[in-house]
Amino acid sequence: MERQTVWHRMMTIDRRLLYLVLLVTIITALILTVNISPEVTPAVRSFYETIEALQPGDMVMVSSNWSAGTIAENRPQFEAVLRHLMRKRLRFTIVSFTPPARDMSLRLARQIAKENNYVEGKDWAHFGYLPDIIIAIKGMAEDVPDTIRQDVRRVPIQRLEVMQGIKSLKDYKLVVDITPSDTLGAWISYRPPNLNILYCPTSVMAAEAYTFLDSKQILGMVTGAKGAHEYESLLNLVGLGTRFINAIQFSHVLIIFFILLGNFAMFMQRRASR
Amino acid sequence: MDWILQFLPLSIERLNIWIGAICTLAIYSILYRENPFYRLFEHLFIGLAAGYALGPSLVDVIYRYWWEPITKEGVWWLSFVVPFGLYLYFIYNEKYGWISRLVIGSLIGAYSGLTFQAFSSRYLPQLHGALTKPLWLPSKDAEDIFWSNIFNNWIFIIILLAVLIYFTFSFEHRGVIKRTATFGRWFLMIGLGAIFGNTVMARMALLIGRIYYLLSDWLGIQIGGR
Repeated sequence: MERQTVWHRMMTIDRRLLYLVLLVTIITALILTVNISPEVTPAVRSFYETIEALQPGDMVMVSSNWSAGTIAENRPQFEAVLRHLMRKRLRFTIVSFTPPARDMSLRLARQIAKENNYVEGKDWAHFGYLPDIIIAIKGMAEDVPDTIRQDVRRVPIQRLEVMQGIKSLKDYKLVVDITPSDTLGAWISYRPPNLNILYCPTSVMAAEAYTFLDSKQILGMVTGAKGAHEYESLLNLVGLGTRFINAIQFSHVLIIFFILLGNFAMFMQRRASR
Repeated sequence: MDWILQFLPLSIERLNIWIGAICTLAIYSILYRENPFYRLFEHLFIGLAAGYALGPSLVDVIYRYWWEPITKEGVWWLSFVVPFGLYLYFIYNEKYGWISRLVIGSLIGAYSGLTFQAFSSRYLPQLHGALTKPLWLPSKDAEDIFWSNIFNNWIFIIILLAVLIYFTFSFEHRGVIKRTATFGRWFLMIGLGAIFGNTVMARMALLIGRIYYLLSDWLGIQIGGR
């Protein structure tokens, strides 16, 4: 029987062993408290400063389209954004374009609002689930009460105190799109020209959005849990982004190590077999 | 003893967390090997997701935009809208399949118009942004433009042109054009690598989120932060 080299054994290592090492690394990084100060990227700083520049009482639309599948990336963003809006005493409305996003954002918003003495209907409202983002944005750009009709509690939009003085999207100062899917394109395409956009994508979606950032079609971007960590540091908050960041960084280092090791083993094995 | 009582699913809230933990462990059991436990929860998840979508659709769409206007506001003509949408299902019938094309045609017409509008508002600002980047310092008074910006803009323009040439198939790539196209292809590969790196980060974050849930919500272990 041919004797196997250490390189060959390394190339045929059981993948479950790698999963185990990854699991142990993540658990260790989550439990151990290692303070890593983030380098705040210009996109996140611009995101923060755009909200900071608003005046108390200004109206913001939060487009929340995430659900359980991307909860680890979008929930930290959603929580940090809502806490920032409430800290600035801004009015906001939430709308969802996927069915599961409706209830997840509603439950979380009610919890955060309770902590910050924000009253539903007076300081904020949830418009529920709308099935077609393009039709909804085009409708809201003309007339929000006529397009939405009633909030999730079935209260007519005209009777909501938070909507006083708001007729259409033109009266909003900002839209924050928190999403794992391509909803940003619809907001860019069909919003009123005066409505600024901030973007919270998952890490997968972020690379495609840099062109929009470069052309100022979006004013700021918080990318995934890592971006949420940077944003939380500007807000001086300890949220999920801050709790996840050690595990994200250590798991990345481990994956890079695995890639280098695997390639080195392949190189050595080829050399040995010549 | 208190810890065990808090851990066990003795309240609705704890029961929810236990169900979440069991679902998470069942789905991740595929990492060990294919098993019936994983298959059961995979099907359960797909069924739940499909069923769940029906609830908000009925409450927030059918009731809000169709049933209520007809029954409370007397907008009777809306009663024709849902049957018109249901015409789509004629696509399964050979004899009356043409009826479905009425709905499909309406949808294609509407979305074609919307796409024209989207193109200008989506891509023209990008073209403008790309073509108006300063490639030299305009004057000594320009406070917000530095040499680093100029350097970045040159990199941007060179890569943009190289990638555009790579995707130009109107003539044969030879000599300088071929070398520029190869240059563009290399930068495309770097771009795709960056996108894949972001994808890995996203997948890791999702895994970390589930492990956080198991440790913090299910097992009650205190997770750090600052």
